[in-house]
Amino acid sequence: MQNMDSCTYKEGPLPSCAPLAVPMLASQQSSEPAYDSADALAKGTLFPGLDLPFMDYVAAGPVENTPLAELMALDFVCQELALYLDTHPNDAEAFKTWKSFTALAKEGRKRYVEMCGPVKRSDTAKFNSWVWPEDPWPWNSGRKAEKK
Amino acid sequence: MFVYEKKLQYPVRIKNPNPAMAKYIISQYGGPDGELSASLRYLSQRYSMPYPEVKAVLTDIGVEELGHLEMVGTIIHQLTRNMTVDQVEKAGFQDYFVDHTAGIYAQAAGGWPYNAAAFQVKGDVIADLAEDMGAEQKARVTYDNILRMADDPDVIDAIRFLREREVVHFQRFGEAMDIATSKMDQRNVYAVNPAFDKKK
Ligand SMILES: [Fe+2]
Repeated sequence: MQNMDSCTYKEGPLPSCAPLAVPMLASQQSSEPAYDSADALAKGTLFPGLDLPFMDYVAAGPVENTPLAELMALDFVCQELALYLDTHPNDAEAFKTWKSFTALAKEGRKRYVEMCGPVKRSDTAKFNSWVWPEDPWPWNSGRKAEKK
Repeated sequence: MFVYEKKLQYPVRIKNPNPAMAKYIISQYGGPDGELSASLRYLSQRYSMPYPEVKAVLTDIGVEELGHLEMVGTIIHQLTRNMTVDQVEKAGFQDYFVDHTAGIYAQAAGGWPYNAAAFQVKGDVIADLAEDMGAEQKARVTYDNILRMADDPDVIDAIRFLREREVVHFQRFGEAMDIATSKMDQRNVYAVNPAFDKKK
């Protein structure tokens, strides 16, 4: 195995010598480059280097722009960065990005709750009555939040 | 502790009933390489895992898999709501219908009820992480196979998303394996099981 000084975003360095019988996988080098949030959600990953579709089953385009999809996209970027940070806890740049997306998602969540209803049960405290059980639930499509 | 969010990870909006498709997609709900297996495997393996980074990976991926379970349940629900008995019969969906009507039950495509024998918690760091990497590959292949057969763009879109998540999870488990083995005796990582043998 070749030890690479610089790898592209689709590669990661491996040691030139490594112990036998130990599973090894090239580690992702950076949280950059990254898709924007709407594209990331549509593709199922934030990272172009990990975007490895089956045959030609690729996203038709960004997910339709609704308040719900916008919140999903921000939460998705936070999840992707969190999984990356779990295995790269010392990547300060990625931590900074995660923090800024967490702030964006918090804002987005506030807007969404005002417009469409509670996401967490505790959001119900912002309403005048116990609206938590109200339809639609996530498995019912045609949520009012899905309309533009 | 878990806090529920009243939304899916990714939109699922299927317009047309199609019990024929529900019949095989249900395997990713309660089948051997499905999302229930995935979440139970990772969330259960956490307790004996000695390394903080790996506990975080198992927790964060395990919780995401619960979200995928909800997405797959939603797909089956939307494929079977509003179906007629005539559609049930034409799709060969009678075996499921007679027991569960249009309810969502955790079973494999072949009809077997969900079985925890589909996954392991070995209580050994390398064995458990190697299983997790294999599990992500098996789930990916199941989604590949679903994509080969599905012909509704609404279904394909959600399945394609779920499949890509398996690729990302595989990468993270691989990195977790690297973090774990680099903390072990480099001359022989199999000298002890750090999940059981106490450090001297
Ligand atoms: Fe997964």
